[in-house]
Amino acid sequence: MKWAYLGVPVVAAVPLLLTPGQLTTFVLLGLSAMTVVGLSLLMGYAGQVSLGQASFTAIGAYTSGLLALHHTPPLLALAAAPIAAGLAAVVVGVPILRLRGHQLAFATLALQLILLSVLGDADWAGGAVGLQGLPYLSIGGFELDDDMDYAYVVLVGVLLVSLIAYHLVHSRVGRGLRALATGEAAAEASGVPVGAYRLLVFAVSAAFAGLAGGIYSFFLGYLAPGSFPVLLSIEYVVMAVVGGLGSVGGALLGAALVTVVVQLLTTLATQPGMPSYAPSVLSYAVYALLLIAVVLFVPRGIVPSLRKSP
Amino acid sequence: MIRVEDLVVRYGAATALDGVSLTVAAGELVALIGPNGAGKSTLVNALAGLLRPAAGKIRVDGRLALVPEGRHLFTPLTVDDNLRLGAWRAKNRDTGHIYELLPELEPLSRRPAGRLSGGQQQMVALGRALMARPDVLVIDEMSLGLAPLVVRHLADNLRERHRDGLAVLLIEQNARLALELCTRAYVLEAGRIVAEGSAADLAGSPQVAAAYLGLEA
Amino acid sequence: MGELAQYLVTGVGIGCAYALTGSGLVVIYRVTRVVNFAQGSFSVFAALTVTTLLAAGLPHGFAETLAVLLAGVIGLIVGLVATGKPGTTAQSALIVTLGLGVFAYAVEILLWGDQPRSFDGIPGSVGGIQKHYLLIIGVTAVVLGATALLFARTDLGRALTATAADPYAARIVGIDVTRMGLLAFALGGALGGLAGVLITPVQQVSFDSDVALVVSGFSAAILGNLTRPGLTLAGGLLLGVVQTLVGGYLSTSYQSEVALIFMLAVLVARAGRRDVLEAA
Repeated sequence: MKWAYLGVPVVAAVPLLLTPGQLTTFVLLGLSAMTVVGLSLLMGYAGQVSLGQASFTAIGAYTSGLLALHHTPPLLALAAAPIAAGLAAVVVGVPILRLRGHQLAFATLALQLILLSVLGDADWAGGAVGLQGLPYLSIGGFELDDDMDYAYVVLVGVLLVSLIAYHLVHSRVGRGLRALATGEAAAEASGVPVGAYRLLVFAVSAAFAGLAGGIYSFFLGYLAPGSFPVLLSIEYVVMAVVGGLGSVGGALLGAALVTVVVQLLTTLATQPGMPSYAPSVLSYAVYALLLIAVVLFVPRGIVPSLRKSP
Repeated sequence: MIRVEDLVVRYGAATALDGVSLTVAAGELVALIGPNGAGKSTLVNALAGLLRPAAGKIRVDGRLALVPEGRHLFTPLTVDDNLRLGAWRAKNRDTGHIYELLPELEPLSRRPAGRLSGGQQQMVALGRALMARPDVLVIDEMSLGLAPLVVRHLADNLRERHRDGLAVLLIEQNARLALELCTRAYVLEAGRIVAEGSAADLAGSPQVAAAYLGLEA
Repeated sequence: MGELAQYLVTGVGIGCAYALTGSGLVVIYRVTRVVNFAQGSFSVFAALTVTTLLAAGLPHGFAETLAVLLAGVIGLIVGLVATGKPGTTAQSALIVTLGLGVFAYAVEILLWGDQPRSFDGIPGSVGGIQKHYLLIIGVTAVVLGATALLFARTDLGRALTATAADPYAARIVGIDVTRMGLLAFALGGALGGLAGVLITPVQQVSFDSDVALVVSGFSAAILGNLTRPGLTLAGGLLLGVVQTLVGGYLSTSYQSEVALIFMLAVLVARAGRRDVLEAA
């Protein structure tokens, strides 16, 4: 954890050096990182593949957005985002966390498709058009209205999420979960309440995603079901797997690496003379090849592999 | 025939077989006895070509077939299908000669292998191995979990087969059965051959008698 | 013919596509224990290939057959990448197939763009039912029947079943387990390709149609726990019919949820039963 104390001031200086376009990328990267820290915990410690993590981002975003549109103070609306996402995770988690492996993967994917379809049909959520004209986030009368402000909001968010994850991993729950990762039967036999811990991690990871979604809604000012496609959930999985499951550092690195590589290629692909489909082709190819290469050749992910080998 | 020379097999840092040598000549019935964890199953898998030795040589003249420990039948398939698959590599998949050798299988031929009794399953496993028309037969723990009468019946069958020139390596925990059935035997302990000789000599040796036959030395 | 009868035939036709997709998943899962997330991509790839082959002047029938064979080859390649490296676990292979599904997006957009496409099926209708649905049903019946015969009546089929039942024993008798796995992937690819080729004239496809297809196929197959071909066919037909009835009598906006809710219900019910069994 020591490196983190050094890293924080360095990363805190980064937004000052970025162009406006890069600043947007920085904010989106941070939001992804918040979600991926949770997902990495879920996949690494509870051994669960979720292909619907973007559902919780969506639930957080819609919670904040709807509350803010109905004149709730923005900070309160933001605080409600992780709570709503966490509660939603508990509600669906009780039945579906009994599933394993590919079953859970398909169940979480199905839940996201259902959520997207419900949101798309719901008049109260703006249907397929979604929510528009959301206010800016404001703290004590100070309105956060430019990207630089959100860069620091996101940094605080990433820090908060990482600290919670770090302490969760190093608590009694974390030790129990590590036992869980090495063998469920053994963990159960040694008195670890497997089901409760798994539900806790699921709820915490959902709350992280929900918080990211809440910030996202204020940052962009509009939301639609299309902002949270299944592919976003798959992107989160790519980031978590590439960085290394069960590692906070890995989640942050994975989110940063994937975002930066895709952004670089997109910049390249939007040069004059490139075909209009080039950015999507390149970004899909990058997600796919990174995911496949890491799973086959660096199965533990980048950060844990670096740490174990001298 | 089988000729194994100085065979070494490792799993990671653990050495499962540490310089094992043995031979089984054509028409010979040889037993390999030893306690659990001695490396018997490792030797079987090495003979079947399922794992790569760290050192040493394995030479098998002709076709080798294996009756694995736990039988490992294809339980959803019928007895006849199990037999046919035994000849997957041999190509001649006519099961008629097996029903001649093991007539009790014929009325069961359309039954799923998973629905048979333990003794019947062991018979199918033997038949499946014989379908490959092997020159060498390796049998891993034939008697495990079977009633003595059934074992006796299987053993009689094996004696018949070996008269046809088949080389048999019988890997057994039941040392009494193995020494009674075979002409020669090896004793494997902790990855090494610790004794070898004619079945009669080994049965008479005080150590073997004490350790494997449950007799006081 | 009455409205209900039309819905039933349409539903069975759609259900055939789900059953084919689900059967592809089952063939691959049984032999390799890998749940192939890229199953829907086979359908999309084959359907888009047909649009190109038809545009190049190939006749109907020939274009579709060629596309299905190509899907089989792609299935083989997916199998090679997902299971070819020794020591790859089923869980890792699942994530690799997920990656391959995303990779297919890149290739498909590059070759065909991101707009939905379609091509003509059999024109005309009898008694208010589009003839193409009857073609879907007929072809599916023949192909699934032939697949069942392959597994029940040929030594190759027995070897595939043997590999699924006990890979160790399969190796002992000399069956090349890796090759059987690749064969299963090729077969699964062709079944997926056929689903796409049959359904596209009545439901246009775009590069990202694969998610809906693989989810529907999985829902069809889950009734038989991904291992029972007969239940997969029944599940696919059931889903297709219920979806069409819901779309016809209630609202088309609930149509897509039918398969999803069915899948969740089966999964959760089965997990509950497993817990009870374990506790007992």
